[in-house]
This record gives sequence, structure tokens and C-alpha cells, in this order.
Amino acid sequence: MNREELAKYLLDKFPDTLELLETGKAEPFFLMKKPDEIVEFCRAIRDDVELRMDFLCQMCGVDTGENFEVVYSVASVKKRYRFDFKFPLPYEGAEIESVQTVWPGANWFERETWELYGINVKNHGNLTRFLLPDDWDQGFPMRKDWDAPDFKRMPEV
Amino acid sequence: MAELKTEEFVVNMGPHHPSTHGVCRFVLTMDGEVIVKVEPVIGYLHRALEKICENRTYAQCIPVLDRFEYCTSMSCNQVFALATEKLAGIEVPERAEYIRVIMLELNRIASHLIWLGTTSLDLGALTPFLYAFREREDIMDLFEMTCGQRLTYNYIRVGGVAKDIPKEFIPKAKQFLSTFDSKVDDYEKVLTENPIFMTRNQNIGVMSPELAIAYGVSGPNLRASGVKFDLRRDDPYSIYDRFKFNIPTGQNGDCYDRYRVRMQEMRESAKIVRQAIEQLPEGEISAKFNPIVFKAPAGELYSRIENSRGEMGVYLQSRDKEKKPLRVKLRGSSYNHLQAMPHLLKGHKIADVVAVMASLDIIMPDVDR
Repeated sequence: MNREELAKYLLDKFPDTLELLETGKAEPFFLMKKPDEIVEFCRAIRDDVELRMDFLCQMCGVDTGENFEVVYSVASVKKRYRFDFKFPLPYEGAEIESVQTVWPGANWFERETWELYGINVKNHGNLTRFLLPDDWDQGFPMRKDWDAPDFKRMPEV
Repeated sequence: MAELKTEEFVVNMGPHHPSTHGVCRFVLTMDGEVIVKVEPVIGYLHRALEKICENRTYAQCIPVLDRFEYCTSMSCNQVFALATEKLAGIEVPERAEYIRVIMLELNRIASHLIWLGTTSLDLGALTPFLYAFREREDIMDLFEMTCGQRLTYNYIRVGGVAKDIPKEFIPKAKQFLSTFDSKVDDYEKVLTENPIFMTRNQNIGVMSPELAIAYGVSGPNLRASGVKFDLRRDDPYSIYDRFKFNIPTGQNGDCYDRYRVRMQEMRESAKIVRQAIEQLPEGEISAKFNPIVFKAPAGELYSRIENSRGEMGVYLQSRDKEKKPLRVKLRGSSYNHLQAMPHLLKGHKIADVVAVMASLDIIMPDVDR
């Protein structure tokens, strides 16, 4: 399947869950409309015989300035496919479900998202200090409104 | 006689340990000599590169990202340039693509040579270290004459490369390549059949293909487990589909296979450089790109390339008419390799921590970013 066929296959397979985004520039980029069913969805794309998305390339949080987004980039080693999907999250009480049961490698990506963005991860099991110093008490540094006395923004050019 | 009382104990390894290749700490739970549990503690090299990039224009990001994975700075430049080019739809001229491939593959060889030197050093063999760094020096000379730098190149830019290769480059590179294969033979003579080296590596840190894929392990480590997957062939970027090269794989996924795969890969990279030099066309070295006024259109993508350690990727999100990226997520392959490492070590002896870590080729800037 090429890019278009893969996008069409996914939209046919998950019509209520996925919506193709125009902003995606390389591989198909989807908006995932049911964040509550993230684990079921991930398991479905991993176990689908046509897709076999067995490889989690990366997973990260994004602060757009209006809300959070969580992006998953998945790939298939067996079938050589790749696509991305994301869903928005509100600032207040941002929470996602851990997908470690599908891809164990998600563990550290989720821990990082929790630490740098303050997005809580349900059923993670090990949300402890990770990249930041053990005694860090200055909030979530990847948020756009984060500030610290010694943090200087570049002047506009 | 009363029964002997035994209990598990904790050994702290690092953060300043000569064989952790950066500052990484392991908390090892031991039962005598045998490892029960390994917990990697990272973050000592966290420089917040992702945050820094959000605060810079696209062109300014490239010299920052040199520091992302400093053993293969060319790949760091390439992955970000590639993502920006895809985002903005910039066409890279032919000649620039070829120069990029030459640089990337030479950098892969240089990185594998560092791995070879430090691995053998970690396992107690000093000689290959000196050999490997002798050859690496030749590659560093080539880079230095091209871009003036030996480690952080800032050479591959958005739209092309910073400047054309100098006249002396091609003859020097050809000379290096003509003797390189026999040099690899020399390293293999010292290590491959060496009984001490084999005992230290065979059946140590066995990684099954299922475990590797589940943990996102990529590159030579994945191929050593028998999975024939290489982004240069399976998700071709740049002009890699024009070159003929083999993808070496292993069978057992142990430290020894990872060693064999990397040794083969150096030869394959040399093959690619030879072909690229052969086909190198004349022409422009950069597309029209003004770093000061460049504004990417709104968009997002995840772009990935095969660097010497595995899949290196960058997720880029941009806003319309903004000079700076909204989000830059860096994906380093060592991040996933280190995460899978505790599973490889269970039941091994404490001395194998060093062997497994060396064979996975983990470097810390790649993990901590």
C-alpha cells in the first residue's frame, strides 16, 4: 500500500475513530477522535493482519498554546508502513492512558511526557523523576507559558 | 551448622564510570555475582535541546542539533534538514544529495570506529582502539577540510549543504577507501576469532526479535537479532535507492552478532561512498533558501533516517508564518536501546553489564537530549 491506499484503508477500517488531517506533510496524519479508547485502538492496529503496526517510533506531548496534543508515530517493521495520529487534550486535568501493554517501549516516552508537560499517565506504574534533577520544583518546563528567572527567550528577528 | 544467610544487595554503577560512554548510572540489584534487576538512571546530560529549538529559527536549530548525537552530527543535521525540506517542499539539488550521502556514510564509519575502539577497550583489548582511531582520524581530516570542524559539523543545511567539497577531497577519500577494507580485515584478525573476545560476547545479552521490536530497538541491534530492516532500504530517504548495498544480519542477537553486524556495515558503507563518488554530478549545492526570512507553512510530520545507531527521528510541528518551530521532538535510538537493556542483563554476571552496554552502542547525549 502506498501513502494514499494506507490512509484509505485506515479510514475504512476505523471510520468513527480517525479523521485525516491536511497538516500532515509526509506520511498520513490522523486526528484520533476517541482518546478514551487509545489502548484498544493501538492494540487493533498492532494486531490487524494487514497493518501490523508493531513499532512505536516515538510518542510525545505538544503544547500548541491553546491546548495539549499527544502525538504517536507508529511503524510496521514487517509491512514497512508508517503513519501518525494525535489527539488534543485540555490543559486542566490532562490525562492519557498508558499504551505499554501494546508497545512496552512506550514506558519512557510516557514518563517523559508526564515529567516535561505534566500530562498524567494512567496505569503507568513508574511516574518518577527522569530527565530533570531529582529535586526539581520549577514546574513543567516544556509548557509554553513556563518561565524561570534564568530562562531567556531569543529576541524576535 | 546454622544455615548460611544470603540476601540481595544493591550495587551502584556510575554515573562516572569509564565504560558508560557519557554519564549514565545503573542501580544493580545483585544476588552474589548474578544480576537480578537493573535500573538505568538517566538525565545527567539533559540539555533541553527540544526547548532550545522551540526558541530558534529553523536554520539556527541545525548547529544546536549537532550536539544531539555528537558521534554522528551529520545525521543530526540531515534528519532536521530533511524534515524541514519535507515540511516546506524544498527540492534539494542532485549534487547536494550525493555530497550528503558521502558525508553520512563516512560519518557512519567514523561512528562505528569509535564504537569498535571503545568496545574493545571495555572488554580489555587496547590495540584495536588505537587502530580504529587511526582510521577515524583520516575521516576527521576529510570533514575538517570540507567544513572546518571535526565533531560538530553544521554542514548539512536546509536546502543543501553549506559549501562545496574542496578539490583535494575526492582523491583523499578515494585513497582512504582503497585501503579501508584491508584495515577492517586487520581489526577482524585481532578480534573476531579471539577466544577471550568470543567468550565475553557469545550468548551474552541475547535479544529476541520480538523483544527488540516491542521496545523500539532499531539499527544494527535490531538486525543482529535477525530482522532485516534498514530504513535506507525500507523507507528510503534522500537518494539511497540508487545505491547497491547489502544489509548484514545476525541470527542469535547476542553481543557477538551485534559486533559482526557492525563490522559488516562498515564495509557496506564504504561501498556506498565509492558508488556515490563514482556518480557524483556537477551542479548546484543548495536550493534557494534564505535562513533569515524563511517561514515554514503550517504542518507537522515525523521524519526518520537510519543513523549509525538506529532510527533517528524528528517530529516537527510548525505554525503558518512563524519563523520558529512550534515543537521539535527528537527521537534518539539509544533511548530505546537503554530501555531494553535491563531485559538483556537478567541472570548475567556483573562484568557483562559493560559488554552488553558496549555492544548496544549506547551513548548518552542521544538518550538525554
